[in-house]
Amino acid sequence: MNQKKLSISTAILVCASFILIVTAWFSPALAARDTIQIVGSSTVYPFSITVAEHLGKKGFKTPKVESTGTGGGFKLFCAGVGETHPDISNASRAIKDSEKETCALNGVKDIIEVKIGYDGIVLAVSKKGQPMDLTTKDIFLAIAKQVPDPKEEGKIIPNPYKTWKDINPNFPNIKIEIYGPPPTSGTRDAFLELAMESGAKSFTFLKEMAKKDEKQFKSIAHTIREDGAYIDAGENDNLIVQKLDGNPKALGIFGFSFLDQNQDKIQGCSINGAKPTFENIASGSYPLARPLFFYVKKAHVGVIPGIKEYVEEFLSERAIGDNGYLTQKGLIPLPKEEREKVRNTVKGQL
Amino acid sequence: MNRPSRIPTADIVRRSLPRRYKKERRFLIYGALSIVVCFLFLGIFFSGIFRMGWRAFFETRIKLPIYLDPELILPYNIKESDYGLVISQSLQRFFPDVTSRQEKRELSKLLGAGVEEVLKEFVIKHPEAVGSAVEIWLPAGDGINLINKGVISKERAIQAGLVTEGILQKFEQLSSDGRVSTGFNSRFFTSGDSHTPSMAGIGGAIVGSFYLMVVTFFLSFPIGVGAAIYLEECAPKSRLTDIIDININNLTAVPSIIFGLIGLAIFLNFFKLPRSSPLVGGLVLSLMTIPVIVIASKSALKSVPPSIREAALGVGASKIQTIFHHVVPLALPGMFTGAILGMARAVGETAPLLMVGMVAFVVDIPKKLMDPASALPVQIYLWSDQPDRAFNEKAAAAIIVLIFFMIAMNSAAIFLRKKYERKY
Amino acid sequence: MKNFIAKFINTSALSRDNSYCYQDVSVFLSDTSQLKSKEPFSLPESSKKPCIVCRNVNVFYKNKQAINDVSLDIYRREVLAIIGASGCGKSTFIRCLNRMNDTIEGCRVTGQILFDGIDIHSKDMDVVLLRARVGMVFQKPNPFPKSIYENVAYGPKIHGLAQSKRELDEIVEVSLRKAGLWDEVKDRLSHSGLSLSGGQQQRLCIARTIAVNPEVILMDEPCSALDPIATARIEELMAELSQEYAIVIVTHSLQQAARVSHRTAFFHLGSLIEIGPTEEIFTRPSKKLTEDYITGRFG
Ligand SMILES: Nc1ncnc2c1ncn2[C@@H]1O[C@H](COP(=O)(O)OP(=O)(O)O)[C@@H](O)[C@H]1O
Ligand SMILES: [Mg+2]
Repeated sequence: MNQKKLSISTAILVCASFILIVTAWFSPALAARDTIQIVGSSTVYPFSITVAEHLGKKGFKTPKVESTGTGGGFKLFCAGVGETHPDISNASRAIKDSEKETCALNGVKDIIEVKIGYDGIVLAVSKKGQPMDLTTKDIFLAIAKQVPDPKEEGKIIPNPYKTWKDINPNFPNIKIEIYGPPPTSGTRDAFLELAMESGAKSFTFLKEMAKKDEKQFKSIAHTIREDGAYIDAGENDNLIVQKLDGNPKALGIFGFSFLDQNQDKIQGCSINGAKPTFENIASGSYPLARPLFFYVKKAHVGVIPGIKEYVEEFLSERAIGDNGYLTQKGLIPLPKEEREKVRNTVKGQL
Repeated sequence: MNRPSRIPTADIVRRSLPRRYKKERRFLIYGALSIVVCFLFLGIFFSGIFRMGWRAFFETRIKLPIYLDPELILPYNIKESDYGLVISQSLQRFFPDVTSRQEKRELSKLLGAGVEEVLKEFVIKHPEAVGSAVEIWLPAGDGINLINKGVISKERAIQAGLVTEGILQKFEQLSSDGRVSTGFNSRFFTSGDSHTPSMAGIGGAIVGSFYLMVVTFFLSFPIGVGAAIYLEECAPKSRLTDIIDININNLTAVPSIIFGLIGLAIFLNFFKLPRSSPLVGGLVLSLMTIPVIVIASKSALKSVPPSIREAALGVGASKIQTIFHHVVPLALPGMFTGAILGMARAVGETAPLLMVGMVAFVVDIPKKLMDPASALPVQIYLWSDQPDRAFNEKAAAAIIVLIFFMIAMNSAAIFLRKKYERKY
Repeated sequence: MKNFIAKFINTSALSRDNSYCYQDVSVFLSDTSQLKSKEPFSLPESSKKPCIVCRNVNVFYKNKQAINDVSLDIYRREVLAIIGASGCGKSTFIRCLNRMNDTIEGCRVTGQILFDGIDIHSKDMDVVLLRARVGMVFQKPNPFPKSIYENVAYGPKIHGLAQSKRELDEIVEVSLRKAGLWDEVKDRLSHSGLSLSGGQQQRLCIARTIAVNPEVILMDEPCSALDPIATARIEELMAELSQEYAIVIVTHSLQQAARVSHRTAFFHLGSLIEIGPTEEIFTRPSKKLTEDYITGRFG
């Protein structure tokens, strides 16, 4: 390389970097944001992106959706008001009081809660395996780290159950092996609350404890065994489906939509007598169902274009109606009257 | 002295020879074996990914007569007309035996979820066709697509609820009429992400990755090379420079997510740069790449023979002239190689991008460095986490593209090294 | 003794008539008068003023002393040869003269070295300027990995010696001519300097040095990597260059020192043992060590 060329290319490099840094510095002041920013639950993510895309086709910029998990979403959502903070947070559970406090502390005072439907948590096995009729009590006994002593009333012992037959003589004699979500996921939170707590409460003394000493109760109901029977399968639910496909004896825990999409490979276990079907979850007879939400920062409505339209599109009949496109994607809709109610209250707040 | 004469030495050597050669042969066999094992793994990996992904580069299309109803497509409202309705009416005309509501709804699954867009594009291109019936190739529905490409068997597809018996029959009828074809899916390379697999593409992700690379290169190369030149050529060797050296080496071993956290704290929270923008992603990847470039550049500088420096100094070049006229040009290929390898590593990262919000659903193809964008590895990560079956294939296809990216970058590194190697 | 000395005198005359015939040195044993009759090599009166003055120079590598209290003068238009056993500090000393030792980590030079009356370590002497005025040719030919033209033009370019391209071309041509390389390379100036043979490369390096028009040329064993023919060409060149420049040459070959230099300095273990007219050093050395060395009793 000759000298001149070298010095020119060096100069170009330096200039380019300089320009980059300068634009980086002043960029927030340059342009107001016109893209809606959405964060939160990975369960709501597929529905959220569908609505986002529909909004994009109506002439708005297509909102940007991040799958951060419910908790991670609220952390970002509650960090403040303004362009650099997200406008909407998806959640697979209702916002906690502590999260509301953080929000308020950072000036995020007005939050609109929008309930959009339900999701079922299913326990499934491979099609090659045997589906079991489980009760929440069975689930609790199979998964908790500490369980009541079957011989002595009121005593807590480390989980002694190795096979399903140990729990219930009617179950097959196979090792307990359950693939489930990791602690960071919203599915796990909901599972602990819906399945484990109700399972624990089937023991009277634990039910008593739940009233008197909630903390101690939770430490029993929410602590999962660590002896290898429960396997943390990571955030990717497709991975659990694959593992079940390869291991007919194992059980997997994940969201309903994954069962829905993989019915050729896996089948769901009925819980307390109810099969995990669309109808059962919608009617509320399947016990492991949780509501799904999204939360809107009111201060951003009217500032960032399209928020109102996004909410309206999300709540429209063609999205979350009985035959809506979200319903076809696996969202379990609210009953018709409730949909109407949500629509009206939200409209009043916007 | 009973020192052995020359003959015994030869004997001793001769006796030890077979053993020595055997040892060498053994080593060669080990070497060859490890190569075989490497290639085996590589082969398994590539063939697996390729088997899963290659079909995503193709799509099934169905030719249908579409009546572009002038009552539905008004000339002043071409962009906002209800093309879904246009298509469903044409479908009904084509399949007059379908009457029940349930069947009608199922019939829509014959075509991909994004057909309205395809039709819209067609009408925008040919506005004169409004009012007539045209035969158009439209992308088939996801279930049909998977079956036609042989990804999934008919029975399984029906079991999984991807298609119904009735739809399948209709499809077979169309197929025997010559109304079905399989073609290269160019949309996969040009469009952004979508909630419907048949419309989803990696165009946006490729552009995002490109922006990331541009930002990363223009930041990390000058900074990394500058730092390397200063450390190697100018800074007096002292305990301080030793400490800096060791720390730079350590930085290359830091898990990449840490850089994401730093990026979150500095660029997003402190400088208030826009979340999810390739600018911020590039800044984060630069943090990761700079140490790699510094180390590569330092060793490239070290390998420039001192005789070149002496030659330049000897005719009266100053230190900086010596460095920039002679040492750096000779070290440049090595520096570029380091930079490309560092960037090849960065282009495959998701973890640091997660922290700065680039793991996101982005449909619009980014036009500026400040626009929200995703990147290739991010797209793979997102698709592999989707419940929808057809996305798995897309993810594998995106992996193929990413691997191609990497191979191209590494080849460029090798090419540069070969081309400019040892000119002194 | 005299007979023995003659061994070293490999007649520059002979090497100059292009026969380059290096037969048995004993052929030349008979005539010691060649020493005195080296016409162009005799010290001209006008150069009696020293151009470099070294006083009590000590050089340390870290704590190891490599040069011990050396004092000597270098005159204009003379060739000074430095001889001595390997490792005695010849290179170290010569590198002091253009402060090339600055580039070596942990190297420390004390004492005074005056160039043109100015201490080269003082603030009044810029190191770039010093090196422009005191050029250096190294042991191993080290052309830049650039074209032949660029190699020669580089010095003049950075110092701004040429106002125009034409002037630069002229400097390149003159320098190559002086280095005796012009006829060999004039048709391929754009070829890489590395495409030349070892001897040509070394002459290219000399051309590069004289292109800057220095006052002193330092040569550190310039012929040690070359074959006898190439060596003869370089020696011939030195004879010509000494008309204009002061040349300090470090050499391993006593013959070479005897052939090309006006004065010779003998170093031993970092100390200057003896310095004087070449003829005297080789014929009547005053120190026992010198005699031992040149008679081949050690080293
Ligand atoms: N860079 C260096 N660091 C330490 N010691 C050195 C260095 N260069 C030379 N020396 C030492 O200084 C002495 C003189 O070396 P040098 O000047 O190269 O000898 P010569 O050129 O006469 O063969 C030797 O003992 C050598 O080991
Ligand atoms: Mg030496």
